[in-house]
Amino acid sequence: MTGMDAILHGGLQGYLVVALLLFAIGLASVLLRRTLLLQFMGVELMLNAANVALLAFARSRGGDLQGTVFYLFIIAVAACEAAVGLALIIGLYRHRDTTDSDRAASLKQ
Amino acid sequence: MFLAFALITLLGALGMLLQKNIIVAGLCMVASFFGVAGLFVLLANPVAAALQIIVYTGAILVLVLFVIMMLNSHEEEPAETSRPIQRWVSVILSLALAVGAVKLVLASKGLQQLAEKGAAVPPAVTLQGVGAVLFADHLLGFEVAGLMLLAAMVGAVALTKRNL
Repeated sequence: MTGMDAILHGGLQGYLVVALLLFAIGLASVLLRRTLLLQFMGVELMLNAANVALLAFARSRGGDLQGTVFYLFIIAVAACEAAVGLALIIGLYRHRDTTDSDRAASLKQ
Repeated sequence: MFLAFALITLLGALGMLLQKNIIVAGLCMVASFFGVAGLFVLLANPVAAALQIIVYTGAILVLVLFVIMMLNSHEEEPAETSRPIQRWVSVILSLALAVGAVKLVLASKGLQQLAEKGAAVPPAVTLQGVGAVLFADHLLGFEVAGLMLLAAMVGAVALTKRNL
């Protein structure tokens, strides 16, 4: 399968292209949006892009189970990150009354 | 099928990037994560697809939506200072990353060989197999992940509670 064909019919390259575009969109939302909650969602999107690439490679190695196990660990880390990150956003909102990352540029009041 | 799920994923993500209302952006993320789950099914990995829906859409995004509603910040606040240079630089950076990476993937000979070698659809991943590998080879990692989740939970409670 050549490049374009793989994208249309779901070869390894097709999944990698989807993963890379997903990562780029996540990066763009971290860089362009000012609300911390949206930046946080962008980080989740980038983690997901990594997962897609990981499982695509695991499949092309004949359904390697190690890939799925690694995916489980990534999900555990993402859940921890979500809990702590959202707690920090709530803490910031209590102090500053804002979820705008520009307004929280300095940590001191 | 692949194209449909890929489009759902990417359009959901784009919707999140461009949406003004934060709750609608969160719901676009849900669509995107469902698309990713569909991609996992096509990768002969129903275990990962189920986990994706349960953990990402069921737990993480619901948590995010709860926080959005709790903080009552449905709209993005108006910018304090406009930073046009930074915005253009980040747009160009993201676009360059996307275009460059896609070009690299499409031009890569090694990836093409890898794709041809693993073109046959493998047997679907089963939960039984994943469990066996997880507890046979990665027991320590599993325990550490559990401890880390506990630490994150305690940390989140400590950070959000007003007076302990």
